[in-house]
Order: sequence, then C-alpha cells, then structure tokens
Amino acid sequence: MKLDIKTTVADTLTSDLDSWLTEKDGRRTGLLTSIDGSEVMLLLLDTQGGTAELWCAPVPDNSYTSLTLKFPQLHWFERVLWDLFGVVPLQHPRLKPVVIHEEYPQKFYPLRQTEWQDNGHNAVHDEHHFLEVHGAGVWELPVGPIHAGIIEPGHFRFSCLGENIVNLELRLGYVHRGVEKKITEVPWQKAHFVAEAAATDTACANALAHAIAVESLLDLEPPLAVQSLRTIALETERAAMHIADIGGMMTDIGMVGLAATMSRLRGSALNLAQALSGSRFFRAYIVPGGIAAYPTASALLQAQELVVSLKKSLRPVLTMFQENQAAISRMDGIGKLKRSLAAEFGFVGVAARACGVDYDARRHFPHGLYPLKAPPTVLETSGDILACTNVRIRELFASLDLIEELIGTSRFDGNSDRAVTSLPAKLPANKQSCAVVEAFRGELIHLLLTDEQGNIKRYAIKDPSLNNWTMISIMVRDNLIADFPLCNKSLALSYGGNDL
Amino acid sequence: MNNTSWLAYIALTAAIVVVPPLLIGFIRKTKARLQNRVGAPYHQPLLDLIKLLSKGELVSEHASWVLRGAAIANVSIALLLAVTSPWIPGMPRPFDVDIFLFIYLFALMRFFSVLSALDTASPFGGFAAGRDLTLAVLVEPAVMLCLTALAVVAQTANLSEIFSFTGKALSVQAGLWVMAGCGLYLSSLVELSRMPADDPTTHLELTMVHEAMILENSGPNLALTEYATALKLLVLMGVSGQCFLHAFAAVWQTSPSMQTACGAGAVLLAVAVTALIEATGVKLRWTKLPEFIAYAITFGLLCLVVALGVVK
Repeated sequence: MKLDIKTTVADTLTSDLDSWLTEKDGRRTGLLTSIDGSEVMLLLLDTQGGTAELWCAPVPDNSYTSLTLKFPQLHWFERVLWDLFGVVPLQHPRLKPVVIHEEYPQKFYPLRQTEWQDNGHNAVHDEHHFLEVHGAGVWELPVGPIHAGIIEPGHFRFSCLGENIVNLELRLGYVHRGVEKKITEVPWQKAHFVAEAAATDTACANALAHAIAVESLLDLEPPLAVQSLRTIALETERAAMHIADIGGMMTDIGMVGLAATMSRLRGSALNLAQALSGSRFFRAYIVPGGIAAYPTASALLQAQELVVSLKKSLRPVLTMFQENQAAISRMDGIGKLKRSLAAEFGFVGVAARACGVDYDARRHFPHGLYPLKAPPTVLETSGDILACTNVRIRELFASLDLIEELIGTSRFDGNSDRAVTSLPAKLPANKQSCAVVEAFRGELIHLLLTDEQGNIKRYAIKDPSLNNWTMISIMVRDNLIADFPLCNKSLALSYGGNDL
Repeated sequence: MNNTSWLAYIALTAAIVVVPPLLIGFIRKTKARLQNRVGAPYHQPLLDLIKLLSKGELVSEHASWVLRGAAIANVSIALLLAVTSPWIPGMPRPFDVDIFLFIYLFALMRFFSVLSALDTASPFGGFAAGRDLTLAVLVEPAVMLCLTALAVVAQTANLSEIFSFTGKALSVQAGLWVMAGCGLYLSSLVELSRMPADDPTTHLELTMVHEAMILENSGPNLALTEYATALKLLVLMGVSGQCFLHAFAAVWQTSPSMQTACGAGAVLLAVAVTALIEATGVKLRWTKLPEFIAYAITFGLLCLVVALGVVK
C-alpha cells in the first residue's frame, strides 16, 4: 500500500505513539528502523482500516530516548536499529546486539550512510553478556549455536533450577547476510530474486510482499487471475510448512510413524507447488507485475487432484495425532502464554492466535484475493502448545479448502490477460510503499523507499520471527528443560529471517 | 571339560559378540518397517562398531583417564553379566550369580556411566547423570521386588537356579512368572533408556537421558559404550523374556535344547515388542515417568504377595 511520510520529533515520539495507539482499537506498530542512520522511522499499522502510516523523526546526534520503556514490542527493533545504524536508544533496558556478531569490527554499522559521530553516550559492541541468574542451585546450560540436526544456528542460554527453566536468553545473528543492503545494490528489476531469498522457507510470502510493494509504487493492479494464483501459491506454501511443523511436533513427541507420513505429505504439498509453478518452493514465480506464467490446463487438473488427495490423506493422520491421549498430555498446559503478554509484546501468527490475539493479516491488509477471500481467523484461548498445534491444524485445512475452491472456480485457460505486466524502466522518485502479508509464521512486512533517481534507497523486511523470538523466552519460563524442544518446535521460528 | 561344553562355550562367546549389535539392528529394522521405510540392514550396528573402533577420538580438554576407564569398566561388567546371567536357558556358565550381585552389577555400571558423564564437565553430562540416577532410584525397588519374589519361592538366591527349569515350587507359578516378567520388562525399558522413558533416536539434547550422558564419547570410546549398552539390552531383554517363558508349563517338560530354542525366541519377542512400543508409542513427559515406573513397582509388590502366600 502507498504511504506518506509524516515527520515528527524524536523527543515526543513516546507520547505521540502512545496517543496514536490508544486512539483507536486495532492499531499496532509494524516496524521500527531508519533510512540512513540520521532518523528513526516507524511504520504504524491500522488493522481496522487496513492502512498504514510512516513516521520519521530525525536524530541528529544518533541517539534518542528508547521507546521500549513504554512499548515492549519494540525492544528487538531498537536493538537491531543500533546494530545496523549505530543509533542508540538511550535507557534501553537490555541493549545488546541481535544481528551483528561481536566478531565484526567495532563501530561497524552496515546500513549507516551518514557519518557516525561519537557523542559520548554511544554504547559499544563489546563482549556479549548474558543475563546471569544467581542463587543456590541455579546452573547454566549453553545450547548451540550448532545444534543436533540440520537446522539454522542460534544460541540458547538457559539458567535452570533443577529441571526447571528460570530464564532463557537467546543469541542470534549467526546468519546475517546483509539482505536489506543487497536489495538496494542490485538493479530494482532483479531485486525480487534477493527479496524472496530473505527467508527461503517463506519464499512465496516474501516474493508476494515485494511484488505488492513495487506494484503499489507503480499504481499497478494485477488482473484477477494473477491475484487468484498468487493466493493459491501463498496458501500452498502455508499448507506445506504447517504440515512440516506439525510433523516436527510428532517427531519430538516420539511419534515416528506419523512423523514419517507427515514428511511424505509435505512432499505432496511441494509437488502441488511444482505442478503450479515449476518450482517446489515457488522460486521466481511471483514477480512484480504478475506471475511467471499461467499454469496449463493439465497442470491445474493435476493440482486439483493433489489437493483433494492431500486432504484425504491428512485427515486420518491428524485425527490419530489429535486423539492420542499421550500426545495431548505432552502438550496440554505446556508453554502457556498469556494473552495480555502476547498483545504487549506484539506477537503475531499462529502462536499469538493460540492465546487469543485476533490478528491475521489476511483479514486486514490487501494481498492476493484478501481480505475478500480470507478464511475466518482461527483462535484458541489457552495459549499452550496444544492450542498452538490445534490452530496450525485448523489453518492447514482452511488453506487446503481455499486452494481447492480457487483452483475449481478460477478460469485461467483462454486467459487474454498477460501473466506479467511489463514494468516501466524507472520507479517513481522519492516515494515509499509497504506491503503486509500473512506468511505462514505471521505478519510479514516489506517497506520500500526510493531516492531522487528512482532507485531503491532503503528496503526494510520485517520477518514475523523478529516479533516472536521473545515469545520463546517468555513461554518456557518455569517449564521443564525437557519441554523446551517442544515449545521451540511449536513456534517454528526462523533464524535466517530474523538475522537477514 | 568335555568336547560338548567346549563347543557350548565357543557358541556362547560368539553369541555374546555378535548378537547384541544384531538385536539393536533388529529394533531399528522393525521400527523402520513400521514407518514404511526400508531401514538399514540388520548387521549395520555391527559395522558401525567396527567403524567407530577404527576412528580417531575427539576428547574434551577437561576429560581425564576416567572417561576411558569408565568405558572399559562398563564393557567388562556388561560382559561379566552376559556370561553369568541366565538370559537364555541351557547356557554354560563359568560361575553363577545371585540376584543381589546381578542387580548391583547393573548399579556398578551406572556408577561408571555417571562418572564418565561428569568427568567431561559438560552441562549435558551433568543433567543427564542427574536424570539417570533419579530413574535408577525409582526402578531399583521394582527389579528387587520381582527377583526377590522368585527367589523366595525357589528357596534360593542363585539366579541360574531360579531360571533353570528345575525347582518344583516355581513350575506351577505361571501367574508369578508373568507378573515378574512384566515388572522386569517395564524396568528394563527404563534401565535401557528406551521409549517411553527416553527416546534413543532423538536429536534433542535437552530431552535425553542416556544419549546426553554419552555425548562426549567418540571413536573407540563410543564403540565400547555402545557395545556395553547392547550387552545390557541382551541381558535384560533375555531375563525378562525368560520369565514369560517359565510361565508355560509345556516348556518345563521339553528337552534342554528345545528350551534353548524357545529362550532365543523369547528374547527376540521381547525385543520386537520394544521396537513396536517405540514405533507406535509416545515418549512420556519427564514428570509422568514416576507414574510409569509405579506400574513396574506394583508388579513387583504383587509378585511378593504371591510369593509370601506360597511360602506360608
């Protein structure tokens, strides 16, 4: 969607933001970042109206009073802002790096364009300090960054009392690749290749968000058939990843047989993607201006058959899982998260809906055929990992129903519309736009700003994991150490998407 | 010593070397087949052991000679258990063990495992050792009760005599044998770190018991540790399998060679049930484990009630 920049003052940001957020229901902070290091930029979302605002507050001496003190949902954003731009949020309660590892040179601020001046109150990146818990019987357990199993790197530092977790601190940033910077460096026509690789298990959602951001700058509205296929693609990705994540829960509980079936069925979902797009992960499928190509009639027929058979094979497996009392007792009441905390920390996606936060970007922000075709928000209230798994299972079936409906009703054959609208050579100068997409993990935001020449000046990506990593620390508190893997799996967060 | 017993000893030695890894392979194969996978060949664990023995080692700088010493001690004790305890009927034995030596040789193995886990000063080894000891404290009474009940009825603490198909008093106690078998089998699952107490195939360090204890072992040390575990599997599955076998009056009447054959079948069956539990079951939550072990203890108590009734 299109955005206007509203310039404000850093000194009054806290009170301005407070009054803006409380003025109406359904308002939330989208992301906090900067353009070149000389200002703080806030993207604010009005979920009721499906609109967004962009606030810009200059910070001439590269420091400002931290917003985290009043708005805990911004605490990682402010840490990332310091990491990437060297802008210091003063009085931030726990200012330490998130995405830039201490091995990088001192005062290395990769996205900063303006000169960095030492103004006396700049925090320094020094050796990483974990929060230490003292007391009789408290012991520390370091896990990672290299884990057993082929997953991304991240470090967990547990402070435990016996078998109970007292505190969990995360340390990420091992896979910082400079995605946001890279997008500004490549020709904008090719930026979608970088954007969709920001978190490759979310390739489709990232590509869609990028396409929407570019198209709204160009005032372009893709034809209905394209919108419909994009929706199918997004839902296929969601279905495939939900199947993988539910299968992950089964593996961790020890239900090896069901887990093996789930990984086979995930293959079917990927085959569906292959039939529609020629790529099992929808790579290079959704592009600014449209989609790579319309599927042939036979491919659609194949896709239709795949969805129907997938639904049919999933039912009995998931029923066996959901009705297994031993499996339920492994999840019931574990990793409980309060709704008030979820709202306060701005959590998104499946886990937030599992504790009653009624937010699904598909119902609020236009992308694909949404909000028109958005399925009802799946909500649970108990906030434990059982609720999380149940939300995931219900969303999976809602996605498959929607895919089946769209493939069945949309007419793609004999389509006179072109799959890709040709784009102008230049983007409009000094403009900005953003896109909010419900990826399978939750709200994904892409924010695009152009400079005087119409090149991309700043490209910000907010993966849902950036909101949600804090959740794992909160939900495992006072739980058993042995239950941590299940809690972690139920959130299924991305390391690469967070580190970018 | 005559020729037959020489042959028997050679057969026993061969069985002790080859069978334990094959049993592990059998469990893995069964689990794989139940998941519609082909699975590795039955003898894969044997090949793995040979591979591990020829590999180099990576030893923590904090580790001492205890790490190696404990592994050697454990294999020695496991071998001792395998040659002396009656995991298969008609087995030649250099000497007999009684039930207390049997139980406390296992305890001694656990002592060395815990030592080696603590020796490397890794937090994983630390918490896993704590968990292992917690489970041991809970399981020991169950094993003790089951075996004592059998000993009371047989009027001897000699394990081989109890399991020798000779005692008159025990031949009519089918119920006692079944209950003792159940108690011992459930305890064995915990003792062997199999599901539902522990998941031997998991990659999740934080939920492990046995696997986290041996995390710092590599190369030959890991081979020794794995081999000791496989021997333990043979002995415990064997002894609990024999309990069920003794419940059948027909087996008491047949020839010794037939009894040996049935005994081998009982071991295989016990291992197959373990594989079945692992393929279909769910790993229990840590706090639910005492409830699970309570079943084993209950079987032990019932055994004792029956035994005291018989003796009176």
